[in-house]
Amino acid sequence: MAATADRFAALADGSRRHLLEQLAAADRPVSELMSGLDISQAAVSQHLRILREAGLVAARKQGRHRYYQLRPAGLTELREWLDELEQFWHARLAALGDYLGEAP
Amino acid sequence: MKADIDITMTYPYPADRVWAALTSSEALSVWFMPNDFKPAVGHHFTFRARPFRALGFDGIVRCQVLELDPPRRMVWSWAGGSIDTTVTFTLEQAAEGTRLRMRQVGFDGLGAQLTRRILSGGYPRILGQRLPAYLGQAATGLDAPPPPDQCAEDGRTLLGAFRRPHRQIQSR
Repeated sequence: MAATADRFAALADGSRRHLLEQLAAADRPVSELMSGLDISQAAVSQHLRILREAGLVAARKQGRHRYYQLRPAGLTELREWLDELEQFWHARLAALGDYLGEAP
Repeated sequence: MKADIDITMTYPYPADRVWAALTSSEALSVWFMPNDFKPAVGHHFTFRARPFRALGFDGIVRCQVLELDPPRRMVWSWAGGSIDTTVTFTLEQAAEGTRLRMRQVGFDGLGAQLTRRILSGGYPRILGQRLPAYLGQAATGLDAPPPPDQCAEDGRTLLGAFRRPHRQIQSR
């Protein structure tokens, strides 16, 4: 499983977010993903590789084309991670209440 | 949809007392985490916990005091793993005591926002097909994520070890 940090780093780039939004609508080959991005196909492929390594995108062969698709599990894990951190804060701030009640 | 953490608690104590608990290394080590905090702007410090996924795996959080305005407002930078965020505490007098608001922002904000938007249905195809398909797979064990024990054990252990019964605290 890719580290959560890698996922956030993958999402930090505007071009990669644009690619994810495109893939959220439909599976697409690289040629289609280039529309709306003013960068070379090599650069798009490089961004897709980073998204794949982060577990946010998967690829499948279909005929002569390689189609990219969003991997919802990667996004779900990110959201769970955020939820976990939020729970952590809730627990600690409740512990602060306990501490205030016990401190002299 | 927001991607930040934003929690407000009300404590039945005066602001000075809450502020003292937020700005004393000793107090923080009791209710929060072991640390080398000092209440001085610019001071670099760390919190240390057992390795905990939500804190960035190694359990070490690297912080710096960015703002200090007693007893009203304190801002820390908060970095764990490659997550670079900001934590802001603001205190406000309330009829019942002191209202404490804690916000953690900067989870590569837009990325986290996109994640929540996609998962919350901003993209019907994902919600209609992909996510249910994924959840179905997960339920039958095909291509399922690792069992929770493998990735969340440390987090749960840490939360469990620290969690205590809630007192009368309002949370909204």
